[in-house]
Amino acid sequence: MTQLILQSVASGILVGGMYGLIALGLALAFGVLKVLNVAHGELLMLGGYASFFAFTFWGIDPFLSMPLVFLAMFLFGIGLYQFLFRYVTRTEIHTRIKNSLLISFGLVLVLQALAVRFFTADERTISTSYSLEAFTIGPVRVPVVRLAGLVVAVAAAITLEWLLSRTRFGRALRATSEDWTRAALTGVNVRRVYMIAFALSAALAAIAGSLVSLGYSISPSIGLGWTLKALIVVVLAGLGSMRGIVVAGVFLGLVESLASVWLGGKYREVVALGLFLVILSFRPHGFFGKAHA
Amino acid sequence: MASSVKHMRRGTSSIAVLGVLGMLAAIGLVSENQHLLTLTIQTMVLGALASSWNILGGFAGQISLGHAAFFGLGALVTRELWLGGTGLALAMIAAVAITAVAAVVVGVPILRFRDIYFSIGTLALGVAVFITAGNLWPGITSQPAEALRNYDFTAPYFVALGVLLTTVAVSLWLKHSKVGLGMMMVRDDEEAAKATGVNSFAHKMIAFVISASLAGLAGSAFAFFSVSYYPNFAFSVLWTFEALLVVFIGGIGTIVGPLFGAVFFMVGRDLLPTGIGEFQVVLFGLLFIVVVLLMPGGLTEAAGRLVARTRRPETETTEKTPTATKGKELT
Amino acid sequence: MLRVDALEVAYGDLQVVWRVSFQVPEDSIVAILGPNGAGKTTSLLALTGLLPVKAGSASFRGSSLIGMPTHQMVEHGLVMIPEERAAFASLTVQENLDLGAYTPRARATHADTMEEVYDTFPRLAERKSQLAGTLSGGERQMLAIGKALMARPELLILDEPSLGLAPIIVDHIFEVIRDIRDRGVSVLMVEQHLEMALESADYAYIMETGSIVTEGTGPELEADTRVQEAYLSL
Repeated sequence: MTQLILQSVASGILVGGMYGLIALGLALAFGVLKVLNVAHGELLMLGGYASFFAFTFWGIDPFLSMPLVFLAMFLFGIGLYQFLFRYVTRTEIHTRIKNSLLISFGLVLVLQALAVRFFTADERTISTSYSLEAFTIGPVRVPVVRLAGLVVAVAAAITLEWLLSRTRFGRALRATSEDWTRAALTGVNVRRVYMIAFALSAALAAIAGSLVSLGYSISPSIGLGWTLKALIVVVLAGLGSMRGIVVAGVFLGLVESLASVWLGGKYREVVALGLFLVILSFRPHGFFGKAHA
Repeated sequence: MASSVKHMRRGTSSIAVLGVLGMLAAIGLVSENQHLLTLTIQTMVLGALASSWNILGGFAGQISLGHAAFFGLGALVTRELWLGGTGLALAMIAAVAITAVAAVVVGVPILRFRDIYFSIGTLALGVAVFITAGNLWPGITSQPAEALRNYDFTAPYFVALGVLLTTVAVSLWLKHSKVGLGMMMVRDDEEAAKATGVNSFAHKMIAFVISASLAGLAGSAFAFFSVSYYPNFAFSVLWTFEALLVVFIGGIGTIVGPLFGAVFFMVGRDLLPTGIGEFQVVLFGLLFIVVVLLMPGGLTEAAGRLVARTRRPETETTEKTPTATKGKELT
Repeated sequence: MLRVDALEVAYGDLQVVWRVSFQVPEDSIVAILGPNGAGKTTSLLALTGLLPVKAGSASFRGSSLIGMPTHQMVEHGLVMIPEERAAFASLTVQENLDLGAYTPRARATHADTMEEVYDTFPRLAERKSQLAGTLSGGERQMLAIGKALMARPELLILDEPSLGLAPIIVDHIFEVIRDIRDRGVSVLMVEQHLEMALESADYAYIMETGSIVTEGTGPELEADTRVQEAYLSL
């Protein structure tokens, strides 16, 4: 029994790292642009496919192709902003959130359908030489590829935190996130900040996708599931907050994992969603967030 | 002038509603084509589901992303009871009743959430219910073999039509009632509505329960019509997606919008060449996006503008002062 | 330096500002005064590109402001401090001031300006690492002004600088404003606090329900009996 619990804890932390990584992007988009991109999971999916095809056709190891995938999705994110989300950010915050929810909904349909058309509905996984390797720490087995996911997540979170607190652009991001009109009056080019924040958010989703295609599997329909996980993490950390995301992600992963020991794997998702609803009911501003205006 | 335009608009929209309903009814009476009948039944079920969502989303302004939960529940109860021997009518009544009760139980906590929290809360709920349904009822549900040998479209057709008519009737009544007015006030500005004495929670609750019950009714029609499916399919978020798509494209908040949208969507999907495959989803997805951004009133708004424009030339010609036509002007 | 002609602003069908014209010459303090809802703030928001302009023109040192993106105005030297809580609560004092020097022009003299600002507002220096949200009202206003100064403005626009502040702090703020003018920065301020504003302003306009009803120098308006009756008898 103890072995089972310890293994669950380990698995929970590992998958929680992934939850945190994908939530980082969503938190950035929502925190800065006040836009809720429900198609975030689809961006993860696309990133996963990019890695998968880079590996399958050109034999490029996913860790090596990661910077390229990041860049490619960054550019795609810029395109998505310029042609779609830019129009959403024209309205005031309340309408903006509602419109972005609806529009990204439409985007989910579009991206998923395109993925089925071009990639087929089959599940794919990247199998490298080290895919099946694992560290053994006592009674616990830690797959290398999933540990890598956690490491990347933590690294990304630290980098983002550094960006936000130590750079001029990061200050501009936080200022825009707090109040975009005051930011504009301070001389910040809000349009450009929005564009870069959104592109970053897409790029982060993409590298999460690379890790998912390596450590788990991808198919055209996985988007919504991951988006929901990211949403739960973002709410846990505090809607609008860009800090404490990976911590919240690990928390979610742990709760899910331990609960499924008792309730069985089939109810794993339901537990997560139930936790979500409970948090929404009693502490909608999450662990780290401030109460919403 | 303004009031006569409004009268014209109300008149035209009633004609539109009757037109669509009439057309759908006529097909059943006239046609024997299996494909057309299937398509029409599916359109009516989707139209009913969309209209039910419209009550909560369009009238009361609460964007629910978990609507399929009630559709699925209605389908589940109907299917289990009906295939188990209970008469269809009783099964459907039970389905609506159970769905209504579920809506009350769920509505009390979830309607406390505002705006976006409500949307993502209902999304989470919908997905949780979908997964649970899949866990509890994993096996496929099929109608017995004898029923399939000579599948008679008449009964499911008229059940679906009846369900659609009921939903439209309830929508119409609601739109012109005091309760409905309260809902629309909450939709437009909840704080202002509360300040004028409207019990916003009660109105949201009423919208929620009516909307859910009608979704359950639509689910019943689906269960009665479908030959075989996995029970959790009726709980799938795809139904919610389609309902939203159809309502927005057709025109949210109107009576005829969900109907227009359902017909447009189903016919469009059917007419698009099969080679196009998934691109039809892409097209509808893009159309949805365009509607949200540029024409929130959907097809209904577009049609209204078109109608308004065709009436204008009459006023223009009467205002022109008659001039003697000279030969040279005719070039 | 700033010239506004026949400015008109409307919220949809509701027109709020009717053909308002005013000027801010170099090295002067100009005040736009008037009761609540007169359209003063709306005019400022339209001027800085945050609200659409229905009609009229506005030029700043020769360049037209209409259609110019807000952040570009800051680069040109036009800096506005909006009403209340103009500093970013989730950033520290130091971060707010650093952010104030966002434009390339301001960045060039970042360090020097910072020193000047801390000299002018020693209280801020004491609270460098404190989150702006934890400062008192007066301190936050000082921070807002300091942050605006970091952008090296040629024209500083203040929207209700005295709002919600204790009289002694308001005194200090106006002292600072006069000091800013003396150092070569023009000031345009919108105020409800007539007496204080008239004491400091070189010229003032009085705005009521969307139009300018009278204008003049500080002493002229103080002497005006209508103004006295309507506003100064409080």
